[in-house]
Amino acid sequence: MEKAKVSAFQMFVLIVLFEMGSAILLGLGSQAKQDAWIAILFGLGGGVIVFFIYYRLYMYYPDLPLTSYLQKIVGKWPGRFIGFLYIVYFMYQASRILRDFGELLATTIYNNTPLFVINTLMIVTIIYAMHKGFEVLARVGEIFFGIIYLTAILGMLLIVFSGLIHLENLKPILENGLKPVIKTFLRETITFPYGEMIVFTMVLPFFNDKKKVKIVCLGGMILAGINITITTIVNIAVLGVGLFHRATFPLLSTVGRIQIADFIERLDVLFMLYLIIAGFFKIAIYFYAAVAGAADIFQIKNQRKLGFPIGLIVLFGSITIASNIAEFIQEGSMIVPFYLSWPFQIIIPFILLIIAFLRNRKKKTSPA
Amino acid sequence: MSILSKMLKNKQKKRQDDNYRQKQDPQKPEDSPILRDYQENISHLKEEVGNSSDVKVREFKIGAHKGALVYVDGLANMISVADYILETLMEAEVPDETIDIFQFMLDKTMALGSVETITNWNQVFDTVFSGDTVIFLQGYNKAISGETKGWEKRAVSEPSTQLSIRGPKDAFTETLRTNTALIRRRIKSPNLRVDAMKIGIVSQTDIAIMYIKGIANEKIVGEVKERLERINIDSIQGSGYIEQLIEDQSWTTFPTTYHSERPDVVTSHLLEGRVAIVVDGTPFTVTVPALFIQFFQAPDDYYSRFDISTGIRMLRILSFLIAVIGPSVYIAATTFHQEMIPTTMAIAIASQRENVPFPAFVEALIMEVTFEILREAGLRLPRAVGQAVSIVGALVIGQAAVQAGFVSPVMVIVVSITAIANFSTPVFAMAIAARLIRFVLMGLATMLGFYGIMLGLMFMTIHLCSLRSFGIPYMMPLAPFNIHNQQDAFVRFPFWAMKNRPMFISKGNMKRSGENQKPGPPKQTENPSQKGEEE
Amino acid sequence: MKKWVKVILLIGLSVPILTACWNQKELTDLAFVMALGIDKGEDDLYHVSFQLVNPGNVSSGQNGGGQGLPIAVYKSTGRTMTEAARNATKKVSRRLYYAHTNVVVISEEVARERTQFLNLLDSFARDPEFRTTTEILIARGASAEEIVTTLTILDKLPVSKITKEIKSTEAMLGENFSITIDDLIDGIVGSGKEPVLNGYQLIGMKEEANKAVNLQKTTTDAFLAADGLAVFKDGALIDWIESKKSRGVLWVLDKAKSTSITLKWKGKKNALVFAPIRSKTKVSTILKHGKPVINIKIENEGWLSEANTAIDLIDPKTIGKIEKLTEKAIKKEVQISVKEAKRLKCDIFGFGDVVHKENPDLWKKLERDWNNYFADLEVNVKVDSYLRREGVRTNPFWSDINK
Repeated sequence: MEKAKVSAFQMFVLIVLFEMGSAILLGLGSQAKQDAWIAILFGLGGGVIVFFIYYRLYMYYPDLPLTSYLQKIVGKWPGRFIGFLYIVYFMYQASRILRDFGELLATTIYNNTPLFVINTLMIVTIIYAMHKGFEVLARVGEIFFGIIYLTAILGMLLIVFSGLIHLENLKPILENGLKPVIKTFLRETITFPYGEMIVFTMVLPFFNDKKKVKIVCLGGMILAGINITITTIVNIAVLGVGLFHRATFPLLSTVGRIQIADFIERLDVLFMLYLIIAGFFKIAIYFYAAVAGAADIFQIKNQRKLGFPIGLIVLFGSITIASNIAEFIQEGSMIVPFYLSWPFQIIIPFILLIIAFLRNRKKKTSPA
Repeated sequence: MSILSKMLKNKQKKRQDDNYRQKQDPQKPEDSPILRDYQENISHLKEEVGNSSDVKVREFKIGAHKGALVYVDGLANMISVADYILETLMEAEVPDETIDIFQFMLDKTMALGSVETITNWNQVFDTVFSGDTVIFLQGYNKAISGETKGWEKRAVSEPSTQLSIRGPKDAFTETLRTNTALIRRRIKSPNLRVDAMKIGIVSQTDIAIMYIKGIANEKIVGEVKERLERINIDSIQGSGYIEQLIEDQSWTTFPTTYHSERPDVVTSHLLEGRVAIVVDGTPFTVTVPALFIQFFQAPDDYYSRFDISTGIRMLRILSFLIAVIGPSVYIAATTFHQEMIPTTMAIAIASQRENVPFPAFVEALIMEVTFEILREAGLRLPRAVGQAVSIVGALVIGQAAVQAGFVSPVMVIVVSITAIANFSTPVFAMAIAARLIRFVLMGLATMLGFYGIMLGLMFMTIHLCSLRSFGIPYMMPLAPFNIHNQQDAFVRFPFWAMKNRPMFISKGNMKRSGENQKPGPPKQTENPSQKGEEE
Repeated sequence: MKKWVKVILLIGLSVPILTACWNQKELTDLAFVMALGIDKGEDDLYHVSFQLVNPGNVSSGQNGGGQGLPIAVYKSTGRTMTEAARNATKKVSRRLYYAHTNVVVISEEVARERTQFLNLLDSFARDPEFRTTTEILIARGASAEEIVTTLTILDKLPVSKITKEIKSTEAMLGENFSITIDDLIDGIVGSGKEPVLNGYQLIGMKEEANKAVNLQKTTTDAFLAADGLAVFKDGALIDWIESKKSRGVLWVLDKAKSTSITLKWKGKKNALVFAPIRSKTKVSTILKHGKPVINIKIENEGWLSEANTAIDLIDPKTIGKIEKLTEKAIKKEVQISVKEAKRLKCDIFGFGDVVHKENPDLWKKLERDWNNYFADLEVNVKVDSYLRREGVRTNPFWSDINK
């Protein structure tokens, strides 16, 4: 494993960037219509509870990443097997997000450019960052965090000054009762993006201040959650429920509405700026987790060597994952939540926690 | 900090393995002791220097003792040699033939500030070639060296590359001693250390490492010395050589060492805990560690008030950004993202480009390259001709090219804004990095528009974040973010709020100023209500 | 050495990527489509007119500002929008570029036919190149082609004349307002609000409209003017609301910013003119005997821009009276518009949405037959006007003449 030290602020920044990542771009919780933001807040609550599972596990093994303590909890070979599944899961997720990202660029601006090219360039950048190590990634995060916040505030101001916000679009609240909201919550918002915190179990050992882990992670999740909620509210308020539901990328449509003084309009580039930064970090962190996990399981000392091969797998995965966007979205909304997200993010960690709890109690009681 | 020490340890280990550490000039004669017979000494010397015409030998007699003095014409001050050595020698009255004439001469006849006894030939050559005078005496296997340095040197003049409006007007010269004196004059503290070193097997260039003990981080000082000692090269012709031989990372366009010809800049760097390397023969002093943000700080930032200097600093960063991405944004906007240009502007640009025969990228490349050529040519030409070049250049770039329809007027605007923005970076080393990156980004913009530019900038940021200067992350205090060091980074705090020296670079004495330094109107005793607020 | 292999591999991987430029399009290879005009032919095809800008003749730069016409119009036909656009490439040397299309003009004929009208819209919404802020207009009493081909004097680009005009009308008069494709689609999809579109007329000698001669007179032979609002129901144009009656629509939709309201004073007609500066409309609903009732509350403040009669403007009581008169006048305007909409059985005000938002359960029952229900809806209007200032004169000179 790489020996890196990451400060509390850097970890916080990475969590915020990761969580916001693609969640802001896609119409998160759009099945809940105008109550999407409620579903997102529910998701945040659920996500915080799920995070406590990861946190307890971290407390048991503060110096080990997920793939290492798996081996301690369920034994060497079963642990390695589950660890391997996790690596595959991380790689799959990285591919998915890479696809999301490439698809977005290909539909909006680069409609003549092959998806493969867009994705290749992105993955090359990520491999380069990975080559420089996690500390560098964290530092890059700090710089882009500032840039993202500035653009977000700027965009927000522009939207407000364009007079686009119609808060009455949020009404009626809970038109069809809580049912669709809870359905969206279970299906989507708890696992995406909050449940994705599972990736951070791979990098939490880098934390240089063990006492602050809880506050930093929760703080990051909550800030990201608030940002996503605000964005969703703005999207609905600007576009109206119908368009919010119909648009492939609601934020892009919202930004497209900005029109000030006949000069500031078509700010798609602002959106693209955000998109590339957020996409970069989300893919990079999944990618890093996959690489670090593989290095850990296969006992490879120099994990940098893995960057290139795993990068290629992710790249080709992102292309072959689905043949068109409809299939891709279908996969994302039907298969991923139930067969991947729930087991990997919630069920397995929960079982691990129970076993770890029993084992550690035994340890504590036996010498006494 | 643990990373730093780890790194240093690694370096040390490597160094021990270094087996080619004999930094000996293969042509240099074996060191041997001075002989008793002065005639033999003289002939040995002449043999070694091959009868070089500038090495002068003057034989003399003092009392009954014979001797000779040796100096290099042009390096030694003739007045010193004649007045303070020869004259006193000749006028000296030797009281007794039996006394130790060597000691007598040391005591009575050398009217010089610094006199030393030397015993072997290497010392002889060292001293003679630094401008000192060596005296051989018959019957002694040692010699006297007297300091008579006094070659023609340039006087302290105004800085030519780093100008300032309110700052001091003196600049370093080519002479090491003058330079160290300029710094010493500004810091009258016994803690200012000047460690000497000679680098360059053949050239034997004098180098002084300056730092303030107690403020500088000892680890960094040690690291600097180690890196300097490791240098094994025939000659050092300027501080640029040193910079390139001691930087952390060679594969980068960004400077990781700072250089300045202004003593006030170097002094303030020393007070921030940095280490200065003064090199004989260059008016540019190197300071390390150097961080990215430092290259946007100009001396005038500190001489004018904080609000103004903060604003100007922001302006510089903005112009650096323009210098890097200016032409590429133009290319991307006009060939990929026409939708983002406001309609009327898009039509205006389109109408100008209507008759231009080249694609935007080629047009931009032609203009940029032309400009770079003009700049490079203007740099080398004698001043009188230089002006002619710039006039021709302005005509070529501006009027003629547009009128001939080769380039569009917008392109000329973009190129000129970029060029002028580039000049506003205070340090040339950073400005030149922007020029290089600009061309890469132009290529990327041509292929992929803003996506290409963004990826290029992403690469640049990752690269910048991975750089270190003497173990200190290059993007400090931005990444890793450090709240204490923000006092003098993008924003310059007023002096009364700039209480601390930069962390990690400086260690030990961190306090810069005392408490309650904020100035205010005089406290009035008649008006007790105001008194509370003043505190 | 291994490192070099890797580097070479990486470079090798990127070479094919770097050699192509897929989305690159030079400005000189583009034809900016400023406006689209869509007509219906006898052959049941869309007849699309593309108004292209001729950049060299628009810009007044050093070498620009040529003598030619600023626009060129090409026509093409097709069964769908895309087909028509692709067919146009046979006639145009450059790639048609829609990112700067500001206006889409649809002929009344097309708008009256549901499927033909609706078939157009998705292509505008789906194409990423198209702006969502593009204005949609209905050509009234003229074909879309005629509107698109007309030259204008003050603005070199006819399109900017249209868009600026709509904006200034919205801001200064309040009879037309900016309507985009997204608004239109939202209106067609939603059941609680029916869309309206601006109508545009070509006034004067139609055959002169597209000639350069038209630009060489101070009073042009033919010019474009906004005229009325087209009302849509079930995705097709059903009728027009005339300019005079359309002001009330803007009041209700909270689009009216300023206008002029002429008042009668003590028997004298056209005696006073009230010009609102700001206005705010709130539409709410309450339940009365199990039926929804719409309450419209309009608040505005403004100044007196004319007083053509002897009147004591220094007296606050007079001001109060003027305010009352203004309120009455605005109320009347709104009521006329509401009546007009009720006649058409078409809820262009979005009262349905208001019911939906405030009372979702009731809405579920009414949703299906809302437009009929709307015809008998009770609508209350309440106006609060405030006259804040009176310009740079106190009492008008009329007060002294009549002495």
